[in-house]
Amino acid sequence: MSEVPDNLKFTKDHEWILVESDGKIRIGITDYAQDSLSDVVFIELPKIGDKFSGGDTMAVAESVKAASDIYAPFSGKVIDINNKLEEFPELVNDSPYEFGWMVLMEPSGKVDDLLDADSYRASID
Amino acid sequence: MSRKTPLFSQHVACGAKMVDYAGWEMPIQYSSIMAEHKIVRERVGVFDVSHMGQIFVKGSETIDFLSYVTTWDMRRQKNGDCRYCHILNMDGTIIDDIIVYTFSDEKYMLVPNASMIEEISSWLNLQADNFDVKIENHSDFYFCIALQGPDSPRLLGQYFNTSIGPFQFIEYDEIIISGTGYTGETGYELIGPSDKAESIWKSLLEMGAAPIGLGARDTLRLEKGYLLSGQDFSGSQNTLDTGYSWVIDWEHDFIGKSKLISQKKLSYPKLSGILLEDRGIIRPGCNIFFEGKQISKLTSGSLSPILRKGIGLAYVDLPLNSKVTINVRGNHLNGRVVQVPFL
Repeated sequence: MSEVPDNLKFTKDHEWILVESDGKIRIGITDYAQDSLSDVVFIELPKIGDKFSGGDTMAVAESVKAASDIYAPFSGKVIDINNKLEEFPELVNDSPYEFGWMVLMEPSGKVDDLLDADSYRASID
Repeated sequence: MSRKTPLFSQHVACGAKMVDYAGWEMPIQYSSIMAEHKIVRERVGVFDVSHMGQIFVKGSETIDFLSYVTTWDMRRQKNGDCRYCHILNMDGTIIDDIIVYTFSDEKYMLVPNASMIEEISSWLNLQADNFDVKIENHSDFYFCIALQGPDSPRLLGQYFNTSIGPFQFIEYDEIIISGTGYTGETGYELIGPSDKAESIWKSLLEMGAAPIGLGARDTLRLEKGYLLSGQDFSGSQNTLDTGYSWVIDWEHDFIGKSKLISQKKLSYPKLSGILLEDRGIIRPGCNIFFEGKQISKLTSGSLSPILRKGIGLAYVDLPLNSKVTINVRGNHLNGRVVQVPFL
């Protein structure tokens, strides 16, 4: 059974979104996503300052078997990335909602169309 | 509808992720590919490879027949020995790679890959016209369990009270046990009637072997440069192309021989190891570039769980240590041509 924290928002592409108190937005992949990928062994992250439109591929998580695109859930600019993942990509498996975060973004417009925990839970049942 | 091996319910009980592989519902992994890979390199694991085939060839001319249809001269193989070799088309291309078991001059068993069982069966039947042989495909009635890893001799001794050398086999209580495998570690493959699969599987787990899925099977074989049927050869490459000339006994006549002889003196692309020097993972199908020009594609590619580097196989006509780039999703990553095995 996958863990789905109630304080987060989600996309149908199995990414989680945490709106921080200063309006910046932290992004990672869900427990369900890391479990399907299994053994994340390499993460390609964007550069700080990169700008994306919603739906753009901004990162790639690779497991032994497959590569999986991580999409920008909305338009915005990359403020920070989780450099730890370069050396320890397995943090995405071990701690998908905390130490395995990937990108911190500043959205350029409104952030909507996200699923709440209940809707996301229903989508992976 | 995918077929199920006699161990299907065991896999489900072990929490395996199941996938369709060559028409079979097979475990891709139980816990994690990385962890399972390391268990086999360091301790011992068991694999369900019951999808593999078992074709028996019997009759007074079996030894001549099999010497003709494979790259090896079976007259040189003793009873109780088994050997890895290739079955070639008339034009020398590999139909499949197999292990041939010698029970006696008049009884042999061939183990082809799951996806090639029917093709090998009909090819053998087609070639058998002038030989006194009978070809019996028993694949549906047999399981195959691979026991692999440095600790596997201990488990074999404990369960069967026996020891077996590389490429030897014995029959023990209807089970054929051979010193073979696909991991590069000391290990065995156990073949027997399907109804015996579960008790052997459970006993080996109880003795400390971990169940290992097809995911780790692929990374284990790739680190050793072993060929994957349908991927590293797929209907257009011959034995010389794959770099496996050691499976050929040139002193006897066999199907495909004349084509191989005519290629011997030429320069041709040979299956080579590609080691990634940049960080990343290379996958089958990635294009390979040399001096700015695309020269080949990877036939296999993954991450080596032991080296923590991208490794792959590709047909290239380049000396060892040549620098190449590999196009991974639009990025050119640096790599070089290396000798296999990778470790």
